[in-house]
Amino acid sequence: MISVEKLSLSDRVKACDQNIVSDMGGEKVMLSIQNGNYYNLGSIGGRIWEVIGNFATVAEVVDLLLEEYDVDRTECEQQVLDFLDHMRKEGLVLVDGEAASADQA
Amino acid sequence: MHTQAKKAWKQPQLEVLD
Repeated sequence: MISVEKLSLSDRVKACDQNIVSDMGGEKVMLSIQNGNYYNLGSIGGRIWEVIGNFATVAEVVDLLLEEYDVDRTECEQQVLDFLDHMRKEGLVLVDGEAASADQA
Repeated sequence: MHTQAKKAWKQPQLEVLD
């Protein structure tokens, strides 16, 4: 797993291309070609995944989710940061300015 | 004016499947 500093709201993130994603009953399930693991992103995690198909700041992701979901901003920010941090550690998302994880091998 | 109801929030979790 990748060990790095925690993300902040100003970080720009993007979904890694080396994944196969499928919708299953409203939830997104993903296979990482890089590590061979399967992941369940759930429904909201799947929505986040769609939003970061192109580079977006974490704050932009949160703003969009606040428009769609009934949630407090502080709670949303913290939970989205935790979720993206976990995905980053699994090598599933890229952070702008960092080398792609595949290039580190 | 009709406004679209917001969806219920649930903490996003990354579940690593076995």
